[in-house]
Amino acid sequence: MIEVRDLTKNYGDRTAIDRLNFSVSKGEVVGFLGPNGAGKSTTMKIITGYMAPTSGIVKVAGFDVFESPIEVKRRIGYLPETPPVYMDMFVQDYLKYVARLRGVASGNLNSMVDAALEKTNLQDVRKRLIHNLSKGYRQRVGLAQALVADPEILILDEPTVGLDPKQVAEMRKLIHSLKGQHTIVLSTHILPEVQASCERIIIINRGRIVAEDSLAGLSKRMSGGQKLVVRVRRPSSRLEKGLGDVAGVHQLRAEGNVLQIDVDGAEDTTEAVANLIVAEGAGLLEMKSTSMDLEDIFIQLTSELGSAQPTGGAL
Amino acid sequence: MMRGAWTVAWKDFRVLVASPMFLMVAGLCACIWSYNFLPQIFQFERYAARAFQSGGGLNIHQTLFASHLARVNIILIFAIPALTMRLLAEEKKLRTYDLLLTVPITAAEISLGKFLAAFGAGLALISISFLYPLITLAFADFSLGPLMTSYLGMALIMGIYVAVGLFASSVTESVVLAVVMALILNLALWFLGQAAEMTDQPEMVKVLEHISVPQQFVNFMKGTLKVSSLLFFASAAAFFVFLTERVVESSRWR
Ligand SMILES: Nc1ncnc2c1ncn2[C@@H]1O[C@H](COP(=O)(O)OP(=O)(O)OP(=O)(O)O)[C@@H](O)[C@H]1O
Ligand SMILES: [Mg+2]
Repeated sequence: MIEVRDLTKNYGDRTAIDRLNFSVSKGEVVGFLGPNGAGKSTTMKIITGYMAPTSGIVKVAGFDVFESPIEVKRRIGYLPETPPVYMDMFVQDYLKYVARLRGVASGNLNSMVDAALEKTNLQDVRKRLIHNLSKGYRQRVGLAQALVADPEILILDEPTVGLDPKQVAEMRKLIHSLKGQHTIVLSTHILPEVQASCERIIIINRGRIVAEDSLAGLSKRMSGGQKLVVRVRRPSSRLEKGLGDVAGVHQLRAEGNVLQIDVDGAEDTTEAVANLIVAEGAGLLEMKSTSMDLEDIFIQLTSELGSAQPTGGAL
Repeated sequence: MMRGAWTVAWKDFRVLVASPMFLMVAGLCACIWSYNFLPQIFQFERYAARAFQSGGGLNIHQTLFASHLARVNIILIFAIPALTMRLLAEEKKLRTYDLLLTVPITAAEISLGKFLAAFGAGLALISISFLYPLITLAFADFSLGPLMTSYLGMALIMGIYVAVGLFASSVTESVVLAVVMALILNLALWFLGQAAEMTDQPEMVKVLEHISVPQQFVNFMKGTLKVSSLLFFASAAAFFVFLTERVVESSRWR
């Protein structure tokens, strides 16, 4: 659906993104993750045809963004970082205007606007002036605007930025509900965001892709990536020592009766750990295997690259 | 293809004429024109009576309406930039420009739509100024022809001011800068004609007279419609709309 080849953008002599390569297939939900200034917005602006790159190719549904921008724009609903709303318009009129701009036939205008209002839960404020809406509602109007022509692709640039926790949760639920109906690319610098919504993650830092994988795959790739959390009734130093000697256990931390064990992820190791705890008669209460926290992965990946490439874009 | 232009035009026109700025401008125009025009009707009546007694007559078009139209023009030079300043500058500032540039419409449609919106609002202003000659119809009997061609000319000139204002609005994010630039360009355009009187070279005079807005306008006031004058005004407006289209299109290449 979206193909990006060797995409580079320079602002003057500052390189914002540097030879990006990735593709997004139909129906996927892809998270674009990176710290401030990584180049997420820049990449999205180029895909939407808002801005031309310095070099490289972007194809959307087979159309080159620079040769047939109109065809590409027809297929994309875009929510920029700042929702592009007119403060002096009513929600309903605004959506109707955008629907017309996006080429919705006159006969379908009302039903399309109604559908977008319903999807984003804005029916109650449809007759309100956008100026009088709260930030969260304006953000939702921004999303409704991207949705209104029922595009194949949704590109959402930090859809939850600046919202309070309750509204963030609502916005996430909303994006979740759009899964399956659209191909979605969303950017964020907050980790739980991608964990909540995305199937695949592209981590970008200083204009380069540092990792690209499914959520599970990414977690696994990191140092084996598994962690066992064990709760026992009778912790003892003997048990800790014994566990530390099991093959495949990297590290072990004990806090009260909870043991956190970093392991290589092999099933044999998990079994050996379980057997030992039972054999020691420590009273196993709970044992669960979790992926390594995405936060750890993120920090590790972005800082690795940061030190390896001191001449990157940001200072 | 032009559906996008109409969509932009209709929305912007409605927002524009409902804005406090438009109401203020229209109110101010009405005040100024009334203040000048109404006393002149009576003055004209006295002069006309005197001229009639001495066996002559006065041309209402060349006296009363000519000075009214001159005032309408002066006011439009200032009023149109106030209507056009926000067209693109504010979209940029408030980031709604991002929307225009990512929906499936062309830069030409955006520019044309914006032009039509402000041109419509300008026509509303001109209609107000048309009320005055219309009122005069109650007192005096005169042929409508020259009045109509004068107003056609006025509308075309207003089109140039709108295109100039649109262009000024396209090159900046600041509405203040947009209004100042438009004003300077409008005045420059109007005074270009005066330059014809300052040069001696006959060819130069000819060129300057041809591209001079006041010179061309004189034709309309006489009640004659010259294709060359029509074409001149239309192409001057088209030129600035075209420049705007170039600026909008080029915003992708930052
Ligand atoms: N118009 C511009 N002119 C010059 N430099 C720019 C411009 N826009 C972005 N940049 C630079 O390009 C780099 C990437 O910016 P971009 O906005 O794409 O980052 P981002 O990943 O979206 O960050 P954030 O999380 O803060 O939104 C940054 O270093 C930024 O300073
Ligand atoms: Mg950004």
